[in-house]
Amino acid sequence: MAAHRREVPEFSVSCPGSSEWYLSSRWGQGLKLSVFAGNGKRRYLDGHADTPVVLADHPAIHDIRWQTDMHHAATRKLAAQSHEIFTSLQKHTSDSTEGTRKPQLVKFSRRYRVAMMECIEDLRKAASDSLVDEATQEECDSMCQLFQQLELIWNLCEILFIETLPGGVVLQHLLDWVKLHFTEADSLAAKVIEASDDEIQVNEEYWSAVYIYVLQGRLPEARHLLSLHPDKQKDVHGAYGKIDELMRRMPVFGAFSRQTLAEFDLKWRNWQELCQQLLKEGVFVSYQRLENICRILAGQQDVLEQFQHLVGDWYQLMVTKLLYTNPMVKTMDLQYHAKSCMDVFRGSSRLLALDQILFAALEFDITQIIKISSATLSNWWFVAHMADLLHHAGQLESQQLDYGATMREFLLLEYASTLMAEESMWQIVIEYLDHCPVFGRHHLELFVEKIPLKSERKAYKLLKVCEERNMDDQAQSLCKVMGMKALQEERLGTALTWCLKSQDASFASFLAEKFLTEYSLKGNFSNLDLIDNLGSSMLVSDRLTFLAKYRDFHRLYEQGEFSEAASLLLSLLEANLAPKQFLLILLTDALPLLELDTIVFSSKQTSQLLMCKEALLKWYKSEEYTREILPKKSKGHIELEKEKLELLQLGLSRNLSRALLEESVRN
Amino acid sequence: MVSIINSIDTAHEDMIHDAQMDFYGIRLATCSSDRSVKLFDVNNGQHTQVADLRGHEGPVWQVAWAHPVYGNILASCSYDTKVIIWKETNGVWEKHYEYTGHESSVNSVEWAPHEFGLVLAAASSDGSVSILTHKEGTWEAQKINAHNIGCNAVSWAPAVQPGSLLEPPSTQTQTHVKRIVTGGCDNLAKVWKEENGEWQQECAPLEAHSDWVRDVAWAPSIGLPQSMIATCSQDNRVIIWINDESTGNQWTPKILNTFSDVVWNVSWSITGNILAVSGGDNKVSLWKESLEGQWVCVSNVNKGDGQNPPHPTTDAQPEQ
Repeated sequence: MAAHRREVPEFSVSCPGSSEWYLSSRWGQGLKLSVFAGNGKRRYLDGHADTPVVLADHPAIHDIRWQTDMHHAATRKLAAQSHEIFTSLQKHTSDSTEGTRKPQLVKFSRRYRVAMMECIEDLRKAASDSLVDEATQEECDSMCQLFQQLELIWNLCEILFIETLPGGVVLQHLLDWVKLHFTEADSLAAKVIEASDDEIQVNEEYWSAVYIYVLQGRLPEARHLLSLHPDKQKDVHGAYGKIDELMRRMPVFGAFSRQTLAEFDLKWRNWQELCQQLLKEGVFVSYQRLENICRILAGQQDVLEQFQHLVGDWYQLMVTKLLYTNPMVKTMDLQYHAKSCMDVFRGSSRLLALDQILFAALEFDITQIIKISSATLSNWWFVAHMADLLHHAGQLESQQLDYGATMREFLLLEYASTLMAEESMWQIVIEYLDHCPVFGRHHLELFVEKIPLKSERKAYKLLKVCEERNMDDQAQSLCKVMGMKALQEERLGTALTWCLKSQDASFASFLAEKFLTEYSLKGNFSNLDLIDNLGSSMLVSDRLTFLAKYRDFHRLYEQGEFSEAASLLLSLLEANLAPKQFLLILLTDALPLLELDTIVFSSKQTSQLLMCKEALLKWYKSEEYTREILPKKSKGHIELEKEKLELLQLGLSRNLSRALLEESVRN
Repeated sequence: MVSIINSIDTAHEDMIHDAQMDFYGIRLATCSSDRSVKLFDVNNGQHTQVADLRGHEGPVWQVAWAHPVYGNILASCSYDTKVIIWKETNGVWEKHYEYTGHESSVNSVEWAPHEFGLVLAAASSDGSVSILTHKEGTWEAQKINAHNIGCNAVSWAPAVQPGSLLEPPSTQTQTHVKRIVTGGCDNLAKVWKEENGEWQQECAPLEAHSDWVRDVAWAPSIGLPQSMIATCSQDNRVIIWINDESTGNQWTPKILNTFSDVVWNVSWSITGNILAVSGGDNKVSLWKESLEGQWVCVSNVNKGDGQNPPHPTTDAQPEQ
């Protein structure tokens, strides 16, 4: 397999500096490295770690990427389109029956080819776009050529592995294949016709067009061109008429026609005998060109050698030869014919990658096609999608690798990796990884964590991705990152929203305290909507529950439901949910309720409030308070607190006597 | 097809030793012999310097970004024996903590996977590795006597256990075990594990290099039932160590390649399937395991002489 090992791409990065400065690199997302020169550790080893070096230039860091062929405008479109085809192919084949599967797969294959052809067109345009620089033009041009090759290979694979014709009679498809990809005759013919006024200019180009049409088996086109020949009108010896008649009568075997192979065979032999007979009779003796055509039709080999320059390449020669010598060839026999044609064209010279791939296809060696393509074509798009399609067609024997992934998965992972460095393609990457059953998940986890969360919207999208795939850890960390970011920007509401999404108790407590601090400083709450609608999510943390309940208390109070407000306040005080520092605020909140005309705290409740107050006073004397908190309070603050407590004492005592009085009256 | 997308003029006045992209690849931290650490915002080929952090008194060898769940935090280590942790608050970068527990150059720092909390490992030429753990607002340090003559590198094992592939992720309830690998001047690499708050060697040292181990890199878990470590050394070799679940504490070495000069650096790509190797041969080479399980070089980046463009200063716009 050494012959197919990928040549190691070499790349140079310009880093001025002494040769002692070694290159070093750090990874980015996907196929991306930061590269720079410098290795002070070596200086350290020599005992000069701290000896400064005077530099002519500032050291630079180079952002290097590779396999970026899907990052261009034209190829990005292909990436998007093929992603769509790919995902619908995955859905489709899972719910179709054996009988409908094949025609559907052929459709999918054609959709891929349509997308490729569109891409080739776009690249061709880009390659001649005068607005872009020369280097980009060249790059587009070479990519255009690459995709043309890929489409050629794809088409052949489609014929051989997806369409898989009944009886294996394949010639018509091969003719179509040649016709679609090698259109030189059409352009020559168009040129000749365009240059003519009323009478056609018979020149070399004219005859080349005619010959190529004949070689490609496109006899109607050839006949049409011949009919335009000025001599045709006179045709003294009837040679033009005869050759036209011969071409018209050539039998064609259609895969779906009613005739049997035997019938066709008989017709074919008769027809070719007729060709030979006419040659023998010397009908075309004075018409060298027409004789050549007739010799091609008669299946004479030497004439093909003479026209080798018009044939094109070995695979075209193969199709021509088969057409005129072996039209009923079975797919399984193609490789023998391919070999002999390849010998004619390549001889002992080195085979090109394209030769090897096409030959492997004709040999039905799928593994080999994929191996050579991956090793030589520098494009994972093709192999990944081709392998996937073949897998769905049941053609890719699931080659188990050492560690259990199939070849298909290996290639899909490779392809996905080439997209990772392009930030805008993150959603596409995710869907490809989704369809890698063995390793996809782990790659996904590592990939998803590194997607920049540049906006809330993107973060939500990504969160959905994580949730749909039960990636709890990643969802958790995403929410935390977004929450922290919002917190740093002092957007408490947003921070809390993110925190609730991940049910992060300690972060929720932390944020609830922030809200309470904000309240104790400003006397009101921000983000009321959020706090009012916490619902059951308040249960994530005690602090958050307290925050929500405390806000409830305010609402009840504002709505004038004083006795409900009073009992809620009391239960908040007693449940010990509040931070200690907040107790005084809670108690102070009782003051206006104590001042009301009606009594809202019963004698029992008042005693409970008194006990809470005592507890607070006790805490004020504790070591924790005197050491940690007291020093931070200003003198004015302490005075204010003292005043509040006195007011409270007063209010509570008065309420207690009023309540006792009222209760005794009632009893 | 390899191409330079962008070149950043760092404006450092001496050699660069490290350049780390933050978690999301949008901010770059660099450090240099000029004793400074610089931060750049990188966006669509544009970059702007956002901070120039001064605090070290010697060449700064390495920088490391903490996971963003802890906010924006960067650690740096230097020849001056110090580790500094920098933190951004309200857009301003400041020194958050300075650790001076080493007696010699601190060569390498790396943050633990975020699942473990805010935990940093630092490797020093005094032979020890410090584990700094952030607990309730303070930093606690634990020291491991790792390599007698000096410790050159440290790397954390991923928090995901190998082989978790076999069970659906939602059922993973195991408590993660903290593990590190260290490389030292005793030609060894050692694997350490925290147990009951103590760091201990988990298995026999990884012994195959014949000279100082320069760098170690624990591979991210990609779902194989095995752990993988890459080490490189003054002996010009890179070795891949594999620990199969089935074989317990056995680490099996496999020589990736013998290079023509000292290998200084090994690092795994984010998804863990490509190893970047750089060293005295003036190359960065990328290695990948093929379908057949062989390690093959898939690309080489060479150092040019500076004669050919692209010139690094063309689109560099550092803020002065």
